[in-house]
Amino acid sequence: MMRGNRIFLTCFYWAFVLYVFIPLILMITMGFKDSKFIGFPIRSWTLDWYASVFSNTEILSTFGYSVTIAVLATLISVFVGTWIAVLLEGRKFWGRMVIMGLTVMPALVPGIISAIAFRIYARLLGIEPGMGAIVWSHAVHTVPFVALVVMARLSTLPKSQIEAARDLGADPLIAFVRITLPYLIPAIIGASIFCMLISFDDFVRSFFLGGYEPTLPVLIFAKLRSGMSPEINAIATVALVLTAAIGIWAERFTRRMNKDS
Amino acid sequence: MTDQTPLVRIEGVSKHFGDTVALDNLTLDIARGEFVTFLGPSGCGKSTTLRILGGFERPTSGRVILDGKDVTTQPPEKRQVNMVFQDYALFPHMTVKQNISFGLELKGMDKRGIQRRSDEIMAFLELSAFGDRYPGQLSGGQRQRVALARALAPNPALLLLDEPLGALDAKLRGQVQQELKSIQRRTNKTFFFVTHDQEEALTMSDRIVVMNQGKVEQDGTPEDLYFHPASRFVAEFIGETNLLSGEMRGHEDGAVVMDWFGQTLRGHAPAGAPRTGAPITASVRLEKLGFHAERPATANAVQGKVVGKTFLGSRMAVDLMIEDAQGATLRAFVDAETGQTVGADPVWVGWDSDSMAVLRD
Repeated sequence: MMRGNRIFLTCFYWAFVLYVFIPLILMITMGFKDSKFIGFPIRSWTLDWYASVFSNTEILSTFGYSVTIAVLATLISVFVGTWIAVLLEGRKFWGRMVIMGLTVMPALVPGIISAIAFRIYARLLGIEPGMGAIVWSHAVHTVPFVALVVMARLSTLPKSQIEAARDLGADPLIAFVRITLPYLIPAIIGASIFCMLISFDDFVRSFFLGGYEPTLPVLIFAKLRSGMSPEINAIATVALVLTAAIGIWAERFTRRMNKDS
Repeated sequence: MTDQTPLVRIEGVSKHFGDTVALDNLTLDIARGEFVTFLGPSGCGKSTTLRILGGFERPTSGRVILDGKDVTTQPPEKRQVNMVFQDYALFPHMTVKQNISFGLELKGMDKRGIQRRSDEIMAFLELSAFGDRYPGQLSGGQRQRVALARALAPNPALLLLDEPLGALDAKLRGQVQQELKSIQRRTNKTFFFVTHDQEEALTMSDRIVVMNQGKVEQDGTPEDLYFHPASRFVAEFIGETNLLSGEMRGHEDGAVVMDWFGQTLRGHAPAGAPRTGAPITASVRLEKLGFHAERPATANAVQGKVVGKTFLGSRMAVDLMIEDAQGATLRAFVDAETGQTVGADPVWVGWDSDSMAVLRD
């Protein structure tokens, strides 16, 4: 009986994994097909699509543009998010829950709604669509993730650490820079990677707030409209491999840092 | 030349947390080079006193004078006081050496000075081999020594120790107690130690302040507290004791006379004698009761029947029922050999008036 159950559960698990990964596997496979048309059967293989992606300056500059936006948005988000976490963690004051709620909200608002809201707001403020607007919206969207991750880490910092630093002659600022900040580094790095991936992946905000220059997801979307081609599969595969590699590395890195301290 | 002014003077310090009174009008001097222990159950105000001395809490009222200067409102970083934390609070991202140098750096010492002082203190505490290790790579005892080294390095006027032995296992704890005491003697520093462990307090301290509910119960040498407890709380908190409830009768030849279920007993009253006729409690330590075949010539003697024995290795605890005192019981320590022979016949137990302290309730 137990044995039957186990076999059933194992099969079910692998069926689920296949269900989840078959689309990705298909997408990757089609990027190597030597034909303009996506679909089976595949008669011959090629790396031409990759060659064309890596020699296409438009795609490469769009990729750079997306990365730049991700880095800038992350810098802002980490700064603001850490600030909020330090302000809120372990303190009781009037309005704490209000600030907390407002901090978390951007993560919960549907992308399309916040994108439209940003668009209207940007026009009111006279901000041109383009990189600045996209960075701004991505930063707002990712602040809650930073704040929550950093707060979680901060809550595990024993109070005695700061008191020991003060006891040994550190004023509150020195204690923060030399004790609190190093303690938060794993959380901050983890949150940064996460923010960058969210920003890199974002379509709706980038679409609504973008100027003439598209981000990578917007470019892929534009290309899709003019017809599916294995070139898109190649772009997507490169993006997939890069983000997966960074995500796995970040996960392992933060886990190792957490274990050390 | 030794300075006779006290190092620390606590003047009428109170601390309230909301409606709770953690510390109630404490006044106390701490002399230079003293190993003073604040002893009491949790919530007695001992840790609050420590935190006020360290600068982590500000008293609700009263003043703290350190080395002649009023430091009541000074933040911790300005005080010449260092602390060994209960959880050691070593910085996990710094090596042993960096931990120890931290306080020296912030004192503005130059690189060579820091190097010299940290090497010196690491050699003193036998940590030289661990300088490049991280706290996570050390054993509990080693961490404790690093915490001590870090606190001693800046050469504080006063060292605060917040139950630093709590995290160690029993065997190591005994060893570290001896070490701490010897370090204190060699450095000639003033140690302010906080613990709830009476044995620890008795072993290490020059002076013990027993705290209860924000007030000082008794302040004296370990011997004083043990043999001449002033209050019931102290007698019960420190060691094991016999508590005899009776009635005050009067004075005779400098001794206090009391009635204990019809037996007349003589004791002394370190905290002052109550009025005649008042109900009182007296304390006699278990090892102060002597066993005799005949009625002894001691100030107090009663005859009892052995009703129970507990073997404790080197000695034995014997429970006695005193028929002449309406069946009240006493407990006594005797050496294991005597303990084996007593039992069948009634025995006499005797004790001096100096061994029995009349307590404040």
